[in-house]
Amino acid sequence: MDSKYYVTWEEYLAEHPELEGKPQQAIAPKIEKYEDAMFTFIMDLLL
Amino acid sequence: MTDAAARTNERNQIFRDLFSGKTPKRVPISNPATQDFAIQHAGLDLAECQWDLTKLEPVYDKFCQDFYTDTYPGGSIRIPSHYQILGSTPIVMSSSGFMQHPDVVGMLAEEYDQFIASPYDCIVETILPRLYTGFNGEPGKVAMTLAKAMRAQSDDLAYLGAIRGKMNAKYGFATMIGALTEAPFDFMADFLRSFKGISGDVRRYPDKVAAACEAVLPLMIKKGTLPNPSMLGYTFIPLHMAPYLRDKDFATLYWPTFKKLVETLASMGQNVQLFVEQDWMRYLDYLYELPENTIMRFEYGDAKVIKEKLGKKHIISGLYPVTLLQTGTKQQCVDKAKELLDILAPGGRYWWQADKSIIHLEASGPVVENLKAVLDYVHENGTY
Repeated sequence: MDSKYYVTWEEYLAEHPELEGKPQQAIAPKIEKYEDAMFTFIMDLLL
Repeated sequence: MTDAAARTNERNQIFRDLFSGKTPKRVPISNPATQDFAIQHAGLDLAECQWDLTKLEPVYDKFCQDFYTDTYPGGSIRIPSHYQILGSTPIVMSSSGFMQHPDVVGMLAEEYDQFIASPYDCIVETILPRLYTGFNGEPGKVAMTLAKAMRAQSDDLAYLGAIRGKMNAKYGFATMIGALTEAPFDFMADFLRSFKGISGDVRRYPDKVAAACEAVLPLMIKKGTLPNPSMLGYTFIPLHMAPYLRDKDFATLYWPTFKKLVETLASMGQNVQLFVEQDWMRYLDYLYELPENTIMRFEYGDAKVIKEKLGKKHIISGLYPVTLLQTGTKQQCVDKAKELLDILAPGGRYWWQADKSIIHLEASGPVVENLKAVLDYVHENGTY
């Protein structure tokens, strides 16, 4: 999805260099989970 | 193993068989009555119960005890708290406590190009602020309103989920999960262009309508994707606008992206349940083309023709007229259930559901007794 309001983990990581060397395997699912939760919430408002 | 756990296992197997095209042990049943109905059946105030969810556990307990069903009954996606916090205009609570969807216009005709360029950006920047007052104003205030609304919905869903868990543990329902999405054309119509708006767009700007459906398709796929595709999960897609379109508009504007949506979800191993609203008899040949074992819950139509044309490939459901529960005698209601069972059950691929959900309950009317009689009849006579 091409949108400034939805970022993939890769896009997020590129914008957050402070995560270099951090446990990304633990961070990524959490960041993605809330990105998707927001997407679902927004879309539910139109369903 | 408890009795309830054994019932869950039995029901899960019935649905696994149904969804994979095997003839199950018996015809599975879903109670068509909703949470609204359950609250009225318990004699409680509809508005108060939807705001104060702590009142709902005994409501569901009575509901589950009084009416036979193989799947958890009720449920609601229209919980009022977050709509109120966001200043909703497309979903509002009526004075009698029912959540209603007035016809709204979230997107203007001149905004098609903006939408086609980036549907999600257009939704966030233009459509939601038009439909929800909470998306307007100072950025900090909007952010806090959104945070409160999301938290409210999350709390409410968690509470309802806990009740569902308790009822499943007590009554042994099949453990099914679901996602919700829409056909791209219906999404463009429902909250964005309105029934009247899209009807005019089809004639004035068909190319833009087609492009908008293509643009929004990835969002509809994502919205309908289950976290873990499973034989006991399905994506629910209510279908709205097709019966109101000319055949050629259906073929060029509605069908292509709708078909891609269903095919994509099915290719991920997900079941898809269509709520085929209104009369789709002239589109049965199209429906036949969808992936095998697509679940089709029909509102209206000729059961014999539907079974004949679709019943060997797809799973048929619906068609039982809930209005009969209000107007008919108990015998007439049971006779109708028998008639549909005789037509639709042979060979499997039949799930008993009604033609629509039951929302309103007239306390002195016959619906409760008639519904009980029909559910019991199908349960007792639906064995293969």
